[in-house]
Amino acid sequence: MRLDAKEPSGPIASKWDRHQFEMKLVNPANKRKYTIIVVGTGLAGASAAASLGELGYNVLNFCIQDSPRRAHSIAAQGGINAAKNYQNDGDSVYRLFYDTVKGGDYRSRESNVHRLAQLSVNIIDQCVAQGVPFAREYGGLLDNRSFGGAQVSRTFYARGQTGQQLLLGAYQSLMRQVHARTVRLFARREMLDLVVINGKARGITTRNLVTGEIERHVGDAVILATGGYGTAYYLSTNAVNSNVTASWRAHKRGALFANPCFTQIHPTCIPVSGDHQSKLTLMSESLRNDGRVWVPKKQRDTRPPEQIPEAERDYYLERKYPSFGNLVPRDVASRNAKQACDDGRGVGDSGLSVYLDFKDAIERLGPDAIKEKYGNLFHMYQKITDENPYKVPMRIYPAMHYTMGGLWVDYNLMSTIAGLHVLGEANFSDHGANRLGASALMQGLADGYFVIPYTIGHYLAGESLPKVTTDHDAFKESADRVQKQVNQLLSIKGSRGIREIHRALGRIMWDDVGMARTEESLKRALAAIPKLREDFWHNVSVPGTPDNLNQSLEYAGRVADYLEFAELLALDALDRSESCGGHFREESQTPDGEALRDDANYSYVAAWEFKGVGKEPELHKEPLNFEEVHPTQRSYK
Amino acid sequence: MRLNLKIWRQAGPGAAGRLEDYTASDVSSDMSFLEMLDVVNDSLVRQGKDAIAFDSDCREGICGMCSLVINGVPHGPDRGTTVCQLHLRRFKEGDTITVEPWRARAFPVIKDLVVDRSAFDRIIIAGGYVSVNCGGAPDGNAILIPKEISETAMDSAACIGCGACVAACKNASAHLFMSAKISHLSLLPQGQVERYRRVVAMIEQADADGFGSCSNEGECEAVCPKEISISNIARMTREYVRAMLVAGK
Amino acid sequence: MTTRVRVFSSSVGTKLLIGITGLALFLYLVLHIGGNLMVFLGRDVFNQYSHMLLSNPLIPVIEIGLVLIFLLHVYKTITMFLGNRKARPIPYEQKKYAGAPSRKTLASSTMILSGLWLLVFVIIHVSTFKYGTEYEAPGTGIRDLYRLELENFSNPLTVGFYVLSMLVVGSHLRHGVASAFQSLGATHPRWTPRLLVAGKVAAAVIAGLFMAIAVWAYATGARS
Ligand SMILES: Cc1cc2nc3c(=O)[nH]c(=O)nc-3n(C[C@H](O)[C@H](O)[C@H](O)COP(=O)(O)OP(=O)(O)OC[C@H]3O[C@@H](n4cnc5c(N)ncnc54)[C@H](O)[C@@H]3O)c2cc1C
Ligand code: FES
Repeated sequence: MRLDAKEPSGPIASKWDRHQFEMKLVNPANKRKYTIIVVGTGLAGASAAASLGELGYNVLNFCIQDSPRRAHSIAAQGGINAAKNYQNDGDSVYRLFYDTVKGGDYRSRESNVHRLAQLSVNIIDQCVAQGVPFAREYGGLLDNRSFGGAQVSRTFYARGQTGQQLLLGAYQSLMRQVHARTVRLFARREMLDLVVINGKARGITTRNLVTGEIERHVGDAVILATGGYGTAYYLSTNAVNSNVTASWRAHKRGALFANPCFTQIHPTCIPVSGDHQSKLTLMSESLRNDGRVWVPKKQRDTRPPEQIPEAERDYYLERKYPSFGNLVPRDVASRNAKQACDDGRGVGDSGLSVYLDFKDAIERLGPDAIKEKYGNLFHMYQKITDENPYKVPMRIYPAMHYTMGGLWVDYNLMSTIAGLHVLGEANFSDHGANRLGASALMQGLADGYFVIPYTIGHYLAGESLPKVTTDHDAFKESADRVQKQVNQLLSIKGSRGIREIHRALGRIMWDDVGMARTEESLKRALAAIPKLREDFWHNVSVPGTPDNLNQSLEYAGRVADYLEFAELLALDALDRSESCGGHFREESQTPDGEALRDDANYSYVAAWEFKGVGKEPELHKEPLNFEEVHPTQRSYK
Repeated sequence: MRLNLKIWRQAGPGAAGRLEDYTASDVSSDMSFLEMLDVVNDSLVRQGKDAIAFDSDCREGICGMCSLVINGVPHGPDRGTTVCQLHLRRFKEGDTITVEPWRARAFPVIKDLVVDRSAFDRIIIAGGYVSVNCGGAPDGNAILIPKEISETAMDSAACIGCGACVAACKNASAHLFMSAKISHLSLLPQGQVERYRRVVAMIEQADADGFGSCSNEGECEAVCPKEISISNIARMTREYVRAMLVAGK
Repeated sequence: MTTRVRVFSSSVGTKLLIGITGLALFLYLVLHIGGNLMVFLGRDVFNQYSHMLLSNPLIPVIEIGLVLIFLLHVYKTITMFLGNRKARPIPYEQKKYAGAPSRKTLASSTMILSGLWLLVFVIIHVSTFKYGTEYEAPGTGIRDLYRLELENFSNPLTVGFYVLSMLVVGSHLRHGVASAFQSLGATHPRWTPRLLVAGKVAAAVIAGLFMAIAVWAYATGARS
C-alpha cells in the first residue's frame, strides 16, 4: 500500500487556496441527497455536523453521552490559538505554522499544519459570531494569553472554560441544524463497527445504549470525530468514557493507524493521591503564565514550602530554559518534572510532585486579578486536594493527557478507507510528536468548520456511490459481529472486575510506555499486554443483560479494544527508536537530557495496518518532507 | 471509612423503583463520591450482579453528566460543586447517605440513577443559538464588547446543563437553565437579531416538555454547580416582556 | 409570533400575571391599612373617612377591578400550582432545603395554603363588613362602621380568627412581595437584597397593624 497524502503542489502559503479551487463541488440542490454519518459531537464532530447541515447535506450525528454538549471537548480549559496578531507582538500565520511544526518536533505534515495556521484566524471570527464570550480587555477588544512553546500571545480564552464555550457554540449551531431538520441526533449510541461496501465506508453499526438494540445506519460517507485514546493509560485527564473503540473498529476494517506512540503527558496535573482514583485532573497550562515551577534544591527536603527560602529553591525551568522559562512545551516541562522527582527532589507525601507557585503573581497583580483569570481552576484544585492555592503553592505532576497519534488521514482528512474521514483528536494529522497547548481546539474546529465542508464535497462529487440499504450483506455481517461480541462478553461470567483489568493495563502503560521508554520496558509491556488480554477474555465479569442500559457492558467493550490497541501503541514505540516530542526513548537523548531525534531514519509517519488480533501489524511509512521549516534540534533555551 | 448507602434502584423506565441498602466499606476520605460508587459497583460486578447505573464522564465538574441527589440535595451538600467533585471528606464515618436520581416529568428515569435529559436539548433546539452559518463571520474584533458585558454573559454561559436546577425546584422548573442561555445571548450584540423570537420559542418548548413554572424560591441557584443567579430568570422575564411588546406592534 | 392570550398562559406569562396582580393586591392592602388606622382617631373621624371613601362614584368601578384582580390572582395561582405538581409525578424519598442563597422558607413553601386560607378569609371579611349590618352613626346620616367594627371584634373567637388570618397574610406577603418583583423581572444587584428585606418588613408591619386593630377593637369594646 502506498500512502498518498494528496498534498497540493505549489508554495506552502497557497496550497490550500489552490486546493479549494481545484476540488470538485456538489451542486446545492444535490446536497440533500447525500447522507453523511458523523460520529462524535466534540468540537470536531459538532462543528462538522453543523456546517455540513448548513450546506444542506443530510447528516446523522452520533454520540455516547446523553447530549452532544457533553463531549469531552467541554473539559478543555486554557484556550485556543489563532494567528490574529491582535497583540501586535509579531505573530503571523507563518509563525504559528512554524511554532507548531517545531513544537511537534518535526513529525507532522507541513502542508496540513500551514492550513491549520491559516484557518485559525477564521475560527475566532466564527466563534465570536456565534456568541462565544471570549475574554475581553477594557477597551472591548479580545484578550489573549500565552501558552507553552510560543513567544507571542495568541491564545484566546473564556476564563478557564474555553473548551466549554467553544463546544457550546458548536453545539448551538448543531442544534440549529437539528431544528432545520438537516441533522438528526442519535445520543446514547455507541459506534461499534464500520460498514465497508466495495472498499468504501457506507455506514456504521451502533448499539443503542438505552435499549441495547444493535442498529444499522447507512450513508454516503462516514466521519469519525471520536476523540483520543488517552484512557488506554487508565488514569488520564480525559473523561472516563473516552475510548478508542470507534477508531479501533475502523482500524480493524482497514483504516491505518498512524503514530500511536505519540502521546502527550501534560506537566500540570493534580498528583495521584491513591489507588482509588478514576481520573486525573488537569490544571490548565495557562497557569504557567503566572505560576512558577520549582522544587527544593536539597534532596528529600521535607520542610513546608513557605519555610524554604528563595535561595534554596530551584526554579528549574527558568534556570534551564531562560528564553521560554515556565512556558516551555509540555513534553519538556513534563520530562523535567519527572527528572526532578527521580532525583529525589519531588515534594508532597509521595515525592511525586513539584510546586507551581503563584505567590509572586498574587503579590504583583493582587488576589482578585488571579481569581478572575484562574478562579475556577483554583476552586477545582481546592476541592480535590483540600489545599488553598492562594496560600500554599499548588503541587502538580505530569499525567496522560492527549494523543497525537490517530487514524491516518490524507490532506483531505480521508483515511485509507475511501469515504471514511477522520477529524479532531481521532486523526493523527497536525501535531507531530507533541502538541502545543491551545492547538487541539484549533485543530478540531478547523477540521470541522473549514476543511471537511470542502473535502467531503470533493469526495462525494468524485465517486459513484450506488444506493445501498441496511439490508446489504455487509450490514448484516457487521451487526452479527457486534452482537457476537456483546454475547461473548456477557457469557464469560468470570470473577475479575473490568476496572481492575483496565487499571492493570494502565499501570503497564504508565510504567513501561509512559514518559520515558526503553527497549526493555517496551518489550516488557509487549509481553504483558497479551497476557492481560487473555486474562480479560477468560476471567472478566460483565454482569447484566444486553437489552437495556448496561454500563458494565459498554465499559467492557472499550477495555477489550484497549487491550488490543495498547499492544500497537507499545509496538510503535518500540519500532521508533528515536526520541521526539512526547515520545522519549532513553536510548536516544542529548548529553543534557533533551529528546534526540533521528531524522535520517525516522522522518516518517508510521501507519500500521491491522492483520488480526495478536498478529504482527504491517508498517507503512509516509515520508515527511520539510521544505519550509528545516528540522534542527529543538531548543527552548 | 465506612458508609451506609440507600440507593435508588429501578430496572427500567416503566418499572417501579425503590431504595436499596449498600455499604461502602474501606473507602478513603480522599475519594470522590463517584469513586466510592465505583468501588461499590466493582464489588457488585465481581459478584456478577448488575452494577448501579449512574451518569458521569468528565469527573471534573464541567460536562454536566453527573446527576445525583445526595441526602435530598442535588449534587450534595457542597455549594458550587457537582457530585463528581464532592469528596468523602465531607462525610463522617458511619453516615447513612440517600442517593436518588433527578426527579421530574421532563427527565424520566432510564435506569437506577440515570435520567433522560433530552428535554434540555429540545429547549436549545427551539432557539438557543445565534443563526450564523459558517463562513461569513466578520472579524472577531469588528464589534467591541465592553468587558463587563462579556463577563456577565460568561457568568450565564457557564451553565453546564446538568439539570440540578430542575431537580431542586419544587416545581421541576427549567427557568434557570433556559434563562442562563437567554441571558448569555441577549447580553451580547451577536444575540440581538433573534432576541425576541428566541425567548418566546424556548419558553414555549420548556412548557410543552412538562417543566413547571417558577415560584422564585431560588433553590435552583443554591444547588447550581456554577452558581448561576436567579437574576437570569428576571432578565428572561424582561426579555419576554419586550418580546410581547414588540410582537404587539 | 405568539398571540397575547398564549403569552399569558406560558409559564413566564403566568408569573407575570401573578406578580402584577399580587403587587396590585399588596398596594391595596397598604391603602387599606392606611385607612383602617383612622380607627384610632375615634368614631367620627373613622366614619367620616369611610363615608368619603364609599360615596366616591369611582368606588364601584375600583371594587369591580379589585375583584377581577383578586380572581385572576386566585385562578392563575391555583392553575399554576396544579400544573407544577404535574411536573414532578414521582416525589423524592428524601428532599432537603438547599441552604443559602435559596429563599425557600416555610412561607414560600406554603403560598398555596396561605392563599387558600386568605381566599376564605376575604369572603368572610367582605361579608361581615361590606355586607354587614347597616348601622347609622347617630346624628350624621352616614354609616357607622366604627360600631360594626367594635361589635364584630367583641367576640374573642372572631379576634382569634382575625389574628390568625393576619399571621397568614404576613406569611403570604413575606415571600410574595419580593417574589412579585422578581416575577416582573425587576432585579438589581444593589436593590434586590434590600428589596428582600423590605418585603419582609412590609409583611410584618402590615400584618402587625391589622392584628393591632383587631385586638384594640376587642379591648375598646370590652371597656365601653
Ligand atoms: C482536561 C483537558 C483540557 C484540555 N485543554 C485544552 C486546551 O486548553 N486547549 C486545547 O487546544 N486543547 C485542550 N485539550 C485537548 C482538547 O480538548 C481535545 O483534544 C479536543 O477537544 C478533542 O475534540 P474532539 O472533537 O476530537 O473529540 P471529543 O471532544 O473527545 O469528542 C468525542 C466525541 O465522540 C463521541 N464518541 C466517542 N466514542 C464514540 C463511539 N464509539 N460511538 C459514538 N460516539 C463516540 C463522544 O460522544 C464525543 O461526542 C484538553 C483536553 C483535556 C482532556
Ligand atoms: S461528571 Fe462531568 S460534571 Fe460531573
